[in-house]
Amino acid sequence: MTCLSARGSTLNLKFTFLLAWYYGIRTIARGPSYIIAALSTPLALLFLVYVLSNGALVKYALVGGFIAIVASVALQSSGDAAFFRLQLRIQDLYVASSVSPSDYMIGLTLSYLMFSLPGIMLYGILGVIYHLFSPFAVAMLILVLALLVLATSSISFIISSSIKHIRNIWGIAGILSVLMTILPPTYYPYESIKRVFLYLLSITPVTPAAVVAQYSFGLSPALPLELYLLIGETVIFFAMARFLTRWREK
Amino acid sequence: MIEVKDLVKKYSDGITALKGVSFNASKRVTSIIGRNGAGKTTLLRILSTQLMPTSGSVSINGVDIIRNPDDIRNKIVSIPQEASPIGVLTAFEQVKMYLVGRRFSFMDATREANRSLNEIGLEGFKHVPTDTLSGGMKRKVFVAMALASNAEIVFLDEPTTGLDPLSRMEVWSAIRQIDSHIILTTHYMEEAQELSDEVFLVETGKIIEQGTVASLLNRFDGMLRAETSSPCDGCARVSNTYIKYIQKDRAQEYLEKGFTVKSVNLDDLFISKGVNLES
Repeated sequence: MTCLSARGSTLNLKFTFLLAWYYGIRTIARGPSYIIAALSTPLALLFLVYVLSNGALVKYALVGGFIAIVASVALQSSGDAAFFRLQLRIQDLYVASSVSPSDYMIGLTLSYLMFSLPGIMLYGILGVIYHLFSPFAVAMLILVLALLVLATSSISFIISSSIKHIRNIWGIAGILSVLMTILPPTYYPYESIKRVFLYLLSITPVTPAAVVAQYSFGLSPALPLELYLLIGETVIFFAMARFLTRWREK
Repeated sequence: MIEVKDLVKKYSDGITALKGVSFNASKRVTSIIGRNGAGKTTLLRILSTQLMPTSGSVSINGVDIIRNPDDIRNKIVSIPQEASPIGVLTAFEQVKMYLVGRRFSFMDATREANRSLNEIGLEGFKHVPTDTLSGGMKRKVFVAMALASNAEIVFLDEPTTGLDPLSRMEVWSAIRQIDSHIILTTHYMEEAQELSDEVFLVETGKIIEQGTVASLLNRFDGMLRAETSSPCDGCARVSNTYIKYIQKDRAQEYLEKGFTVKSVNLDDLFISKGVNLES
């Protein structure tokens, strides 16, 4: 179970899946509070949007909920990645072995995706109740979430590998959580804000993800530039994480 | 065989941790001893490909590990200082995951994880989350990884720091089960004495002594360490203690003067700096 990575070395897929299984599924089974933590903000915001808009914007909030869950879990992962590196020294253990930075990064990313799954399932059920889904919408949602998890996890790794003290990560993750899950048009129509603000917010991959998702679910008009932005940002952030993440320290 | 030549490490904050370290290590267990901040961990992290040096060269079994770290990484294991297992995962899961990371098959990883954990005495604890284990047991989880990996070289950075004496002895016993070439750092002289075939003494980024434990203690042959809390003739002051090295046949005389008399061990390599040994 290997495949070729960008640098020509083979990815250890067995390791990445086992890490995802142990640190994702097993951890959820032993500590369900992780799921509640991942779900709490998106569900609270869904409730708020429902109440404030008298249900008018609930479909936007549901679609945005998928995006927000994946983004917030990936951002929370920066805390774990920093904790593994600075406190537990687990990253050092794997640096001095045949595990590559890509194996480690993808393994952790997949495990965080596991944390997102219960939330995605819950939103899926709510989406069925509100008749949100079409085959096109589902296919686009899967694509958008896959790109988003790669992009946001990459951002998390870049941050977690650059901090020197574990305390710093909590503040940074909090700021990023607001910047990347509340401000972008996850819970409101992207047309509600001026185009200039939309483009400014598009510096975070959550914004193009939300715009593409709103179009895919038939809630807002198409804005093709945002799809290209999402793909481009994912590639750029993943490459930055791959080459900027501190593996062998200097 | 590890060959280190003119190794220098300057950190970005201006601290020079290593100032031209050179040595060859070929014995089965090599200890790098020194006080806190001497440069032991920096040296070990460079040797185990975790840290780039500023200059100098390191080859392990003929591989230039500065330029080609990937060529040696599948042959080494490095247990970082104060490493701690992931609390929510069991010892078995973590050893198995580490072995699969080293490209063992699932079947081999399962078998070797079970074998190594049983061998080091964690049989009854391998399927409970590691946050319920004692400090010594947690450290043994990493030793089990080293044991199961069949690596050629195992680097252990202060493997027993912070452990109580009994846990320390348990970890030593587990370390003795590793067949590989071991390089360990420690500031516990007793640990170096207990485990090592060869010792390198590091101080302020340089190796100042090297040899077997016996050869390093040779200069103290027939001597004891006499300590007192009051200033005395020919005594060196170490903190609030005054120290003198005496011939064994004068032990009674010094005891009657109120000195405490102790056997000499590797601690005395540090303590004796600047002390004239009584002839």
